[in-house]
Amino acid sequence: MREQRRKDAVWMFLTYAFILTMVVVMLIPLYWMIVAATLPQQEFIEFPPRLIPGTAFLDNFAALQERMNYVVTIWNSVFIAVVYTVLSLLLCSMAGFAFAKYEFRFKEPLFYAILATLVLPIQLLVIPLFLMMSQIGWTDTFRAIIIPWLANPIGIFLMRQNMRSIPDALLESARMDGASELQIFYRIALPAMRSSLAALAIILFLFQWDLFLYPLVILEDPGNYTIPVALAGLEGTQRIYYDQIMVATTLAIIPMAILFLVLQKQFVSGILAGSLKE
Amino acid sequence: MARIEIDDLTKVYDSGDESIVAVEDLDLAVDDGEFLVLVGPSGCGKSTTLRCIAGLEDVTGGTLQFGERDVTDLRGSERDVAMVFQNYALYPHMTVRENIGFGLKLSTKLTAAEISERVESVAEMLGITELLEDKPKELSGGQQQRVALGRAIVREPSVFLMDEPLSNLDAKLRAEMRTELQELQQDLDVTTVYVTHDQTEAMAMGDRVAVMNDGVLQQVGSPEGIYRQPTNEFVANFIGSPSINLLTAEVDGNTLVGPAGFSYRLSDTAPVEGHSTVRVGIRPEDITLTEDGANHATVSVVEPMGNENFCYMELGDHELTARIDPDLRPQAGEEVRFTFDEKALYLFDADSGAALKTKSDAVSPGIGTEVSR
Repeated sequence: MREQRRKDAVWMFLTYAFILTMVVVMLIPLYWMIVAATLPQQEFIEFPPRLIPGTAFLDNFAALQERMNYVVTIWNSVFIAVVYTVLSLLLCSMAGFAFAKYEFRFKEPLFYAILATLVLPIQLLVIPLFLMMSQIGWTDTFRAIIIPWLANPIGIFLMRQNMRSIPDALLESARMDGASELQIFYRIALPAMRSSLAALAIILFLFQWDLFLYPLVILEDPGNYTIPVALAGLEGTQRIYYDQIMVATTLAIIPMAILFLVLQKQFVSGILAGSLKE
Repeated sequence: MARIEIDDLTKVYDSGDESIVAVEDLDLAVDDGEFLVLVGPSGCGKSTTLRCIAGLEDVTGGTLQFGERDVTDLRGSERDVAMVFQNYALYPHMTVRENIGFGLKLSTKLTAAEISERVESVAEMLGITELLEDKPKELSGGQQQRVALGRAIVREPSVFLMDEPLSNLDAKLRAEMRTELQELQQDLDVTTVYVTHDQTEAMAMGDRVAVMNDGVLQQVGSPEGIYRQPTNEFVANFIGSPSINLLTAEVDGNTLVGPAGFSYRLSDTAPVEGHSTVRVGIRPEDITLTEDGANHATVSVVEPMGNENFCYMELGDHELTARIDPDLRPQAGEEVRFTFDEKALYLFDADSGAALKTKSDAVSPGIGTEVSR
């Protein structure tokens, strides 16, 4: 009995030690990024590296802001990602609802066609999309960044799977209560999907936030750059401005972190949705 | 209030190359204020019929009328009907108050105050006033059931449709709600169509009962009528618990000759004239165990119910059930003799199952004694 308890304790210790190591391994680069953002360039390349934050954050930021208007860049990224997330959520949930709850011709082939687009890498789509955008005169616009990705196959798939769990009787009941199909969608189906929507919001936001190659090709005016495009610009041909890159990346993760914290509770229950019978 | 008239209703489901006939040529009228129970085994088309009445399914053929109004092509929300679903279908993100008021909010021009007033009066009628601000998941099954009823009642529809509304409740609560539902229906006097697979529920609740099988209406009548005068073997077999005893017998002059030495002499041979084989039916309560019975069987199990015993017996390969006095305790393996009255005998055509003879003993209404004043 006592032997067993000691064994359990050892296992517990090892498990936590392992988890802690993984956490440290993951946090070190983040921590180093934040520290580096507060150091002047010459201290940054010192060895052994400094692990205590310095005081040069604002100076580094001022230098960055002087080189490029980084505040506008953050705003561009936030604007694009927020608009994209809202519109794509609406589109994906509507498409998911239709695929889950309505009968129409070619429903199955259509759904699989959408799923099939998952195997196409973004790199493959960049050139054709660029040609299309330049034909309709949309190059260097935000709408060219937002609209082509609105119908997100992962989003549609996720929403379809989750919408299927809504009992038909619930929708029929609303229909008998006199609700139109659109009312059924936003008054019954959407509220029932809150946690899935939160999870999808994070996925969509992250997708757009990280998008690099496509905006790089589409956007021309530096005033329209998004964060990934602007960051790439900091690696100059002559010199790499590590201090400024670190400030820029530190600032770049803040909106994402805020979004995750706000949606965390919903997100977790979204991931677990359907795993337990309520 | 409305009378429902269903003419030649047919519903066919097409799934690719095969089509399934769910309801076939159904003719049925439900009187104004009547409580009609649609009953049948699962897959018999009763729920489909209800869904057609509700407007949740398009009909393949036939017409539906509520009063003078042809509603065949109207949507559910335009038919002035309210439906209670088997799993209640309460909106999970809304409070009880919002659940009950949702239909009024969408389909009427009532003000918020008027809606609130109506919701509260219905809640009071159903005894759920203190639950109005709760969400459905905080309620027990019985309470959810009441909310579902409230949602139907509050709209003051001309027709109530109920799809097995009591089947998710435990036995005791089900019996309670059964009575309550009947009283409610009588108070509101709204035409009601109620679907169930439970024949006990059908018998207990319906003003009239409609029995369906394989998409075809078998019989409509009073609970007593369909019990005593079923039109065919299916109805006789489906209605009644425990089920009627059925066996095949040869007709030999005026004698029915069945399996394992079973024989019964008819005093009236008119029903079996022209038949060489018939199906014989005897209700469990009509079998009497008696020492001078003409037939005998072997007891297999006796189930004591308290107020009576169910005695299961073997007659050759057939199992017979008798409802007997609780004082009688035949032992398993015991040979018993039994008898029954010809008036209680059912006879069916061996091929078509159509009834040739049903119960003919007289029933006297009332309790038969004059109360002196």
